[in-house]
Amino acid sequence: MIDWTAFLIVAVVTWAAALLIVGAYSLGVRLLAVAKDEGAKSGLHKSGAYACFTLCGLIVAFGVVLIVPQLSEAILGVS
Amino acid sequence: MDLTLIVVLVIALALFFDFTNGFHDTANAMATPIATGAISPKKAVALAAVLNLVGAFLSTEVAKTISGGIINEDPTTGVAIGPAMIFAGLMGAVIWNLLTWLLGLPSSSSHALFGGLVGAAIVGAGFGAVNYGVLLSKVLLPAIVAPLIAGISAYLCTKLAYAITKRQSGTSPKRGGFRYGQLFSSSLVALSHGTNDAQKTMGVITLTLVASGLQDAGSPVHFWVVAACAFAIALGTYTGGWRIIQTMGSGLTDVKPAQGFAAEMSTASAILTSSHLGFALSTTQVASGSVIGSGLGRKGAEVRWGTAGRIALGWLFTLPAAAIVGGLAAWITHAGTIGVVIVAAAGLAAMLAIWVLSRKNPHTHETALSDIDNSGAAVNILSKKERRAKAKAEAKAKQQALRAKAEREEAEEEKVDNA
Repeated sequence: MIDWTAFLIVAVVTWAAALLIVGAYSLGVRLLAVAKDEGAKSGLHKSGAYACFTLCGLIVAFGVVLIVPQLSEAILGVS
Repeated sequence: MDLTLIVVLVIALALFFDFTNGFHDTANAMATPIATGAISPKKAVALAAVLNLVGAFLSTEVAKTISGGIINEDPTTGVAIGPAMIFAGLMGAVIWNLLTWLLGLPSSSSHALFGGLVGAAIVGAGFGAVNYGVLLSKVLLPAIVAPLIAGISAYLCTKLAYAITKRQSGTSPKRGGFRYGQLFSSSLVALSHGTNDAQKTMGVITLTLVASGLQDAGSPVHFWVVAACAFAIALGTYTGGWRIIQTMGSGLTDVKPAQGFAAEMSTASAILTSSHLGFALSTTQVASGSVIGSGLGRKGAEVRWGTAGRIALGWLFTLPAAAIVGGLAAWITHAGTIGVVIVAAAGLAAMLAIWVLSRKNPHTHETALSDIDNSGAAVNILSKKERRAKAKAEAKAKQQALRAKAEREEAEEEKVDNA
């Protein structure tokens, strides 16, 4: 009667999504901090940081697509 | 009483409930980025309102849980309870919410809503009217599990964020970037709030339409219902913003940007996934779980179990208490038209009285600025100085214990020697 797999899905998806986003954003923050160090290749580090921030945005966008039935049908082909 | 009139009354009351929900929860999403100066209060409030509006359109899973799950369907009339009972349940929820707000008790408006509905259904149509399986698996268990999941997530994320940004060579970690990240994470919290909380009202309105025979059971939520609920919650969020602006700089717990970012990301992920699976959550409870979890993830944190216990007790109390108020309202409604009038009048009187009281004593709303701040108080984060003092005291106590032990052993040895 109680759908325990639903709870498992919520737990795993929450942990995976939150850790991925926080991990990527933290890496971006660190790279920005490194870019300000003296003698560092600031351009390289900065573009790495922005790549991290973009990754965060992409993960969130993917999540929203999964949740909205119309979008997931149109983009992923599954309802 | 005229059926259409009562349906209109229920819809109006449901939208009012939705409005107060948005009004009450603006602070939950936007208080921290305003406090850290990442965004101006006016912009933050407008952003939260727009995102609540958008969020309400994203999904209807939670609405389906309420309209087609909790209250059993009757093969002859569609739903076991009539619109008058739903009205009574809703009134019970509204009165209970206003009362706890006035008294400054921790409470969950979502649980008040379910409590009121369940109480009214039991009084109106007997114990068989409620589907306890759905109530347990979609409301009660998620109420315990989801904050726990969010809390664990926030704990892990806080640890991760601090570990990744830590610099070895003694240089400053420059964690200020998280301030802008919080803008992003707070926006997601506002969005997720729209997906879960606005849908509860959609569910109640759809339930009423089905119960009065205006909509087939099992048919999808009407678009105008979705739009009306979305606008009501957005308007509530926007008007609720003045409270944040008024109470800025007071009562906010010590939340660092990196920690806040981790907590908000966990809250948003947990609520969005839960909404997708039709769990009708209390967003405040999930956010509180995250705040406590992220607090524990910081160095030198300890839980104030007394405060945490008091908050949990308040939550536990909400559903049965609202059920009693809803049941009482349903019992009065049984008297027919006059009963409905009495319940409506009592509800209006309670709203007016509470509004007047809150005007007289403008400080009461500060205690309820954000329930999450109350939960934040459940974690005590020691400063570096306090941590050092504590370590010193512990080391001293250890030394003393060792010395005492050594003295005791010496005394014993002497005793043996003497013997």
